[in-house]
Amino acid sequence: MFTYRLELTNSCFGSFFPHLGRGLPLRHEGSTKPSKPFDFFGSECVDLALVVAAFVLAEIDQAWDRPGQDPPYLMVHYEPSSKQGAVTMSEFPISFTLEFPYTRTPGPVIGRFLTGLRDGRILGIRSGDRILCPPMEFDPDTCETLALDFVDVGPSGTVENWTWIAEPTSKHPIQEPFAFALVKLDGADTVMTHAVKASGPEAISTGMRVTAQFREERVGAVTDVYFVPEADAEKQSIEPGEGEVEITTHTISLPYTDTLYPHSARFAQGLLDGKFIGQRTRDGTVSFPGKGYDALARVVLTEADDVELPPVGTVLSYTTIAPIQYKGQTETEPYLTAIIILDGAGQTLTPQDIRNIPTDEFRVGMRLRAVFKPAAERDIDNVDNDWMYPSIGNVVDHWESSGEPDCPLDELPESV
Amino acid sequence: MAEDIAIVAFAQTPSYRKYHDSEPSMIMSLVEQIDKEVDIDRYDIDFTIAGSCDYLSGRAFAFIANVDGYGAWPPVYESHVEMDGAWALYEAYVRLQLGDIDTALIVGSGKSSPGKPLEIFPLQTDPYVSAPLGVDPVSAAGLQARALLESGKATERDFAEVVSRSRRDGLSNPYAQVAKDIDADTLLKEPYCASPLRKHDLPPISDGASAMLIARGDKARELCDNPIWIRGIDHRMESHHLGLRDLSDSPSTRIAAKSLGVDPASLDVAELCVRYSPEEIVLRQALQLGDNTRINPSGGPLCGHPVMSTGLTRVVEAARYIRNGDAGRGLAHAASGAALQHNLLCVLEGDS
Amino acid sequence: MAERCAVIGIGQTDFKTRLDLSMDGLVRWAALEALEDAGLTFDDIDAVVIGKAPDALEGVIMPELSLCDALGAIGKPIHRVHTAGSVGGSTAVSASTMIESGMYNTVLTVAYEKLSDGNFMWALSGGRSGGAGAGGSFAPWIRNYIRRSGAPDDIGCKVAAKDRRNGAKNPHSHVSQADLTPEVVAESPMIWDPIHFLEVCPSSDGAAAMVMTNAEGAKRSIQKPAWVISHAKRTEFGVFPGRDPVIPVAGMECARALYKKAGITDPRRQIDCAELYVPFSWFEPMWLETHLIAQPGEGWKMVETGATEIGGDFPVNMSGGVICSNPIGATGMLRLLEPVNQVRGTAGDYQVEGAKVALGQAFGGPNNYFAMWIVSSEPDPDFS
Repeated sequence: MFTYRLELTNSCFGSFFPHLGRGLPLRHEGSTKPSKPFDFFGSECVDLALVVAAFVLAEIDQAWDRPGQDPPYLMVHYEPSSKQGAVTMSEFPISFTLEFPYTRTPGPVIGRFLTGLRDGRILGIRSGDRILCPPMEFDPDTCETLALDFVDVGPSGTVENWTWIAEPTSKHPIQEPFAFALVKLDGADTVMTHAVKASGPEAISTGMRVTAQFREERVGAVTDVYFVPEADAEKQSIEPGEGEVEITTHTISLPYTDTLYPHSARFAQGLLDGKFIGQRTRDGTVSFPGKGYDALARVVLTEADDVELPPVGTVLSYTTIAPIQYKGQTETEPYLTAIIILDGAGQTLTPQDIRNIPTDEFRVGMRLRAVFKPAAERDIDNVDNDWMYPSIGNVVDHWESSGEPDCPLDELPESV
Repeated sequence: MAEDIAIVAFAQTPSYRKYHDSEPSMIMSLVEQIDKEVDIDRYDIDFTIAGSCDYLSGRAFAFIANVDGYGAWPPVYESHVEMDGAWALYEAYVRLQLGDIDTALIVGSGKSSPGKPLEIFPLQTDPYVSAPLGVDPVSAAGLQARALLESGKATERDFAEVVSRSRRDGLSNPYAQVAKDIDADTLLKEPYCASPLRKHDLPPISDGASAMLIARGDKARELCDNPIWIRGIDHRMESHHLGLRDLSDSPSTRIAAKSLGVDPASLDVAELCVRYSPEEIVLRQALQLGDNTRINPSGGPLCGHPVMSTGLTRVVEAARYIRNGDAGRGLAHAASGAALQHNLLCVLEGDS
Repeated sequence: MAERCAVIGIGQTDFKTRLDLSMDGLVRWAALEALEDAGLTFDDIDAVVIGKAPDALEGVIMPELSLCDALGAIGKPIHRVHTAGSVGGSTAVSASTMIESGMYNTVLTVAYEKLSDGNFMWALSGGRSGGAGAGGSFAPWIRNYIRRSGAPDDIGCKVAAKDRRNGAKNPHSHVSQADLTPEVVAESPMIWDPIHFLEVCPSSDGAAAMVMTNAEGAKRSIQKPAWVISHAKRTEFGVFPGRDPVIPVAGMECARALYKKAGITDPRRQIDCAELYVPFSWFEPMWLETHLIAQPGEGWKMVETGATEIGGDFPVNMSGGVICSNPIGATGMLRLLEPVNQVRGTAGDYQVEGAKVALGQAFGGPNNYFAMWIVSSEPDPDFS
């Protein structure tokens, strides 16, 4: 890990950077020396982190001898009050995809609308003198619940507003440049936000006519349809499906990427080395894993506060889990899970699976020792920055009796 | 008769493209800064309220970790809104009106860097007919921009002028993430991303936090020499359906301004939550702001957009401008939702 | 300027998996019922406060943005609270402060959860495998309570049987059983030792709503007002050395602040009944101790002697409580809503006769968020 300390000479970022760009005052500490001036004037972004990262990377690009790997991520801490900053490099990238197929019950109005889309029809709902499309359960002005009085609208309509999306995201319904438009369908009095497929931004304008095109595969979702310029529309013959759409599924899948924070990185390196590294807090106990701060004393903790804990602790409580099935759950059989507090730690470990001590021998107060896996088999894939569910990775092979007598129950910490 | 309530102290982090430590650690540094400045023990503050968004970090209940940042042992009287910190300020202001407690700590924080905001925020829209289409805030801002152009209320040059002025102002803001001395002509040569918007019409992706301490009348004077008085705070909602709104206008802002009795001629400064450059034009017109009002001297969200603290930071920036003696009376604005759907106004005044 | 706050309308959906309703439909059901109860319409509402648990439960971010039309909030302030499981309680407390602030005359508050759109276990585990569920976290604490208090093993079963029996008198209940006995509960499968299947709350869809107003509004109310006598919220860290999550200090301090403001000195005698957030049966004795209603270590005795049954001297969860219905975001609000039902005498088959002062409590997170209130049929009840 490389660490740089920066001393900034001006409290104003904007006017500071020109100096930096000319290679002027930059003090640093670290194992390589950022020496090459870096031209960032062409860059839109004058964010301190990016500039300094680029500056340091220019050096490390040459020194870094890990071909085929992404360059290390450089992080910058900057305190305007003290004008002190630090750049650190983490070797622990983490990523996670938050994904779930939500099953939405659209209710009697949107349900009918989605049923219509599946069947190649676009339905509006009558609200007084107006036809609302997409339909709503209530009148938008009076908030009165509407009767289920549906009317076919479209399939053509008029663009009332549009924006051309030059670079669609993976969440957009069309994976090439397209327009989002507000379309007022023939027979409707309100507009619908939807996607228009056109050859380019010059092919779309306010007031132009568009026509609905239904997808080959329709599932009873708003994505069953899209729009094209009226002249480009193909005549479609759609077979209606069976029954009403009562569920519309929306799979939400969001990627998150980060790198382990400095204290988490040291904790993770410890796990790979077969050590439990925590941080000593001001009350004398050890936070494991450390959080980078002491919440009770309200102070920041640093590498100097790191301490190694013995792999020995006491069972405070346990339970048998009959796993409940949900997406992502891989456990199927009941298993014993224990609340263990390592000697010297200020709080318990997240529940630890106990797979090799029989349930009837297991008891509160029992003294256990962690037996690490061989170094090559240890992984920290599930270690992240989140202290609320702090994983200790897949580094412990199993927990075994330490051979010591049980801790008397009245000496157990109350905190479980 | 409303209670007199004032901002006693405030703090903010810079807007970082990526802040490489935890959200609670950012909050902790701000709260410590405030505690030192006004010489108050964090545990002598009567009420604490924070605003944040679980989805930024992709973890349900992520907000619970933030409590570490502002402290909760011994136990505290505390609450949380899944809204920008400006709405936390609103609730704190409402709470202090009861007159039984004197002080409140407000925090807004967010780290957008781990996720992809363009993919996350379509989830703010209707889950049946809009979210599955991935209708994102930038696309909605593109529609708002075109509504402005086609109503004749603005030109693309107006958008570029907003960007040019904001990014220049950012050069003198030590907390800015993006700043540049660049003119409108140069900006207008850039390609569109969500036409008629260009990339520079958008805010950067930021991590950051802001915090403030507010207090009732006498307590505020006891805690500091120059309280910034909150003369009123209100927020209003517009329809969720873009098609049911006039995107070239902000009626919710006008309702809030009217209820607060905002007199644009009296405003020396306005910090507006301009995440997309056309929003400034919509807001300026809705608020009838004239040349007497300096708009976004900080550069605004176009120079740093730490979601969930961006709105509260507008209050911080307006308060700073007043405290520095650059203004006597100011307006802060916060926004939520697509194309300025939800707007909050806060009127501030220095001790005259 | 502190105004008095009165609840003049309440509404709730039936609690179950609501495949028949959209989210709009769900919140409108409760909101329209509360408005009808109060004899008002959306036009009479000055501001709306909504609450629900994490956005990931439904995959809808900041739902005030998409529900504002359905709740008649266009052109009005709409505020969204989120304090984990206690959120429904916190939301009601926030709404009452809006009245008490004097800034608003009439406020609608709504809390909801559409759990069937997603999966609670998935969200709680952050989308990772190995999630033990809330029960997996709470079971060790319950074991700890049993050890410390010396409570007999069947106390949890007694609570569960009582709640499920009470729930059978509540037409909104998700799960209930009119003739359930502790013995049958004890025979149900052990899910998270020592928690049996029948001691666990269900996963429900549903919404709850209240209309609140000031003293002027209460005068015009067609409904007997329930006066908010006091409210309190407390939070402590969820994890730190030496923390007691079984009888958390935040829960004790919340109760102390609540009683002090109300003028209550002997809660067991001066409060007629309570709705406590009991997602697993053993939480009933834990909360009775935490909230200073029972002496330390003696909460379970109130269960054993039947004091917490309807007809006992301190009935708890007359509606059936969380054990019968758990639409997470709305659950806390129901705990604050049902005391309103009691003090105005509209609780039907689960009415506590003569109830004048009632306690509502919600908790969240790892036993670290608390929101409570006391309501009364009298604006200034006499506690002498």
